[in-house]
Amino acid sequence: MTEVAVGPALPPDVDRQLEGLPPAELAIAVLTYNNAATVPAVLDAVRKGLEKHFAGAPSVLINVDAGSSDATVARLAEAGLPFVRAHHEAPASQLAAVPFHGVPGRGAALRLAAAVARRAGVRALLVLEADVTSVNAEWLERLARPVLEQNVDLVMPIHARHRYDGTITNLVVAPLVAAMFGRRLHQPLSGPRALSARLLERLAAETQWPQPGRSVADLWIIGTAIGAGLAVHEARLGRWRVESNTRTTDLPTMVAQTLGAAFATMEEYEDLWLATESGPPLPVDGPPVLPSDETVQIDVERMVGAFGRGLRDLGTIWEQVLAPETYGDVLSLDIEDLTRFRFPDDLWARVVYDFALGHHWSVVYRDHLLRSLVPLYLGRTAAFVLATRQRDAAAVESGLDAVAAAFARQKPYLVDRWR
Amino acid sequence: MTTSSARDWYKDAVFYEVHVKAYKDGNGDGIGDFAGLTESLDYVQELGVDCLWILPMYPSPLRDDGYDIADFYAIHPSYGTVEDFQKFLDAAHARGLRVITDLVMNHTSDQHPWFQASRSDPTSPYKDYYVWSPSDHRFADARIIFVDTERSNWTFDPVRREYYWHRFFSHQPDLNYDNPAVRRSMLDVMRFWLDRGLDGFRCDAVPYLVEREGTSCENLPETHAILKEFRAVIDQEYGGDRVLLAEANQWPEDVRHYFGNGDEFHMAFHFPLMPRLYLGLRLEDTRPITDIFTHTPPIPPACQWGLFLRNHDELTLEMVTNEERAFMYYAYAYEPDMKLNLGIRRRLAPLLDGDRRRVELLNCLLLTLPGSPIIYYGDEIGMGDNVYLGDRNGVRTPMQWSRDRNAGFSAVENGQLYLPVIADPVYGYEAVNVAAQARQPSSLLNTMRQLLAARRTSSVFGRGSIEFLRPRNSKVLAYLRRHGRETLLIVANLSAAPQPVELDLTAFAGATPIEMLGATAFPAIRSTPYFLSLGPHGFYWFRLERPGDSDEPFGIERTAI
Repeated sequence: MTEVAVGPALPPDVDRQLEGLPPAELAIAVLTYNNAATVPAVLDAVRKGLEKHFAGAPSVLINVDAGSSDATVARLAEAGLPFVRAHHEAPASQLAAVPFHGVPGRGAALRLAAAVARRAGVRALLVLEADVTSVNAEWLERLARPVLEQNVDLVMPIHARHRYDGTITNLVVAPLVAAMFGRRLHQPLSGPRALSARLLERLAAETQWPQPGRSVADLWIIGTAIGAGLAVHEARLGRWRVESNTRTTDLPTMVAQTLGAAFATMEEYEDLWLATESGPPLPVDGPPVLPSDETVQIDVERMVGAFGRGLRDLGTIWEQVLAPETYGDVLSLDIEDLTRFRFPDDLWARVVYDFALGHHWSVVYRDHLLRSLVPLYLGRTAAFVLATRQRDAAAVESGLDAVAAAFARQKPYLVDRWR
Repeated sequence: MTTSSARDWYKDAVFYEVHVKAYKDGNGDGIGDFAGLTESLDYVQELGVDCLWILPMYPSPLRDDGYDIADFYAIHPSYGTVEDFQKFLDAAHARGLRVITDLVMNHTSDQHPWFQASRSDPTSPYKDYYVWSPSDHRFADARIIFVDTERSNWTFDPVRREYYWHRFFSHQPDLNYDNPAVRRSMLDVMRFWLDRGLDGFRCDAVPYLVEREGTSCENLPETHAILKEFRAVIDQEYGGDRVLLAEANQWPEDVRHYFGNGDEFHMAFHFPLMPRLYLGLRLEDTRPITDIFTHTPPIPPACQWGLFLRNHDELTLEMVTNEERAFMYYAYAYEPDMKLNLGIRRRLAPLLDGDRRRVELLNCLLLTLPGSPIIYYGDEIGMGDNVYLGDRNGVRTPMQWSRDRNAGFSAVENGQLYLPVIADPVYGYEAVNVAAQARQPSSLLNTMRQLLAARRTSSVFGRGSIEFLRPRNSKVLAYLRRHGRETLLIVANLSAAPQPVELDLTAFAGATPIEMLGATAFPAIRSTPYFLSLGPHGFYWFRLERPGDSDEPFGIERTAI
């Protein structure tokens, strides 16, 4: 017998709630912060999903709340499902300015949800976001069934998104995370996911959970699951629609928070990525869902203009961050003629890696470093739009495959300079 | 890419000044220590500061709160060991925090083995480590700094039967920097700590290193030459990212020399600004503040002013005129016990009568005027002082963590604390503590966190130029900070009554002021005077956004992640 990890102690009020709880196989955790307007839609999907797909499996609804001042918690409590409520501590700064994922102290919320689910003895924990209103019954099935029936340990979503949605994810975070962990996930920062009891056990044994406010626990959980050799799948879900008043839409903030989280994860968990090699593609479950085809107004010229202003104004910072050769290649990009503007994938990968190294060595003040990447990101995004806007969906996909391949190809460049 | 760290990190940094003995007692002996400080780093990180400044931590008889160093190579036993210090330093670095420590270069304790050897053994290699003289008439033009306690800069030593020179207390003999062996020894001391990863030094009392007859013995060219020599060695051996911060309590034009051509100190305190902030606030008049900037010379690009509201010493009034000093005593030190030397020994909150609005206003100025702010521990929660504790002890009492015993600072019986906690009904630990303020969203602590977080969003605060606007209403301070393409506008009401103000912002016509703390867009600027009204001691931090600056509709923002 191996010793069972004790895991973190639960707050006494949560302990009391667990004592009276009937046994459950499936836990559904909803992480919340002032989401009273949107939790009814989430609850509706949960009820229908349980009824349609998991009628025989007893379940429990877990709410971990960051300190909502509206009716969020009450609405969840009235859902009529076996219910455990918990409150997690969130950094004060995140309560004032809510991070991109919408939940102040999301890492602490995930940790608490995982601990409650583990203590409830469930076989699968499904995590849902409280402000994503496009959730439906099928999401529950696609995420949880592989865990309950196929011995999968972590199921991550692939949402059907417009080709120019998620440009930070597609062009920066996903290729970076894929190169780090050696396995490509399409949307590593997306919130919904399902975790197995085995993964919960593994996480409970970890004492080095990310500090709140620094690395985002989501990335660490993915890296831990892959690093432990657990089975990770992706599941195709439908569209992803957020109705939130708190998630930021300020691009520099989004870039700083997401990339900052990835860089902080690299910094704190070198063992999860430095020596990791690429593995085979992860299995993807479910039929493809057609992405949204609504017309999107993208102002490429303005993006290239912002990139040009970055070249003019941020040279002093970029010069410190980028390797001389990389900086020279960036300076020689032709922005005068949009029909000829390109941003090669390998150059882009080296730019992002130089920023990772600049963050690692604190070459410039980290907040400013992250924000100074924004014009470069806009330049790369503009080049991506220019290269694909007349092409079909398959060309967009292969464009993203090429970006991911470049990040994987350039990884030794990063690793060599990291130590 | 260079692999050395950001060389000028200190230009963006906010410093947090901490007494090891006053912060947290980790081993339960009533005195704060490095173990306790290490435990408290989450709090420091969450506050949003970048660099800790640790007050003297060396073995010392503590007759000048550790500024009388008896061994440069060890940690005071009450605070722990060099290993404890190393653990603390590594833990701080792991959180992205930097650490500088105090270093007293000018003098040692009279208990230091160098001094003991110098006084007693004429054959010792240390015999010329100090400034000795058969008479007490040399250097007669040098002023006496601690006028309350010292009558002369010379004291007779009965063992050596000579006088030794001391600019501060008589138990702090000045080192003899004309002796090359002293300079080598001091560099070795610096190397010892820098080798451990320390990010720099706050160098105490630097104007006084060298003495010359017929001068004030302050700011001498020979002193600058020695400091430049130290800087060059440290830059060369440590890659140029270790910071040297000068304590030179002098007028700005004299302090200016301590920056050299960017080859002496990286930073120096701006002493004259601080009393004028209080003066401006009490007079409800912007002129004391704007005037001091017209008397502040430009400094080399890689250099930075250190700004502070309060520190571990008295609020020093050496750098104001006699008339201003009289007014300051009248306004802020109405009891004689509150005065010390040429200063006022009080903390920020009680100095401002506990007026939350004024505390926030002064912090607003601290964080937005050009320079790197230094926050004195406890002032972020509005701790009080106890002027009856003698010397400057009243502002060095235990950090108030909670309403538990000893303010959560230590688990010992009360009598064992190095100093009693503040326990009065207004500022005492039951009313003012971290635990309570952390829970209350509108507390001073959380307001400070928000201000610090807002400051982090722009490099203009640490690097931008300053340009004062001259509104007709002289109770309202308004200034532009510019760096690159970014422009900030700070408007602050020094008055306790609401004030209107009209600002000439025609150069920015078309731009929209975005209030930075709430991210609220204000009406766009036109070619007419821009009207604002401010509540009592209210302030605004605006980012002036020109059309096309940001929030640009690229079309990808809403769904970019």
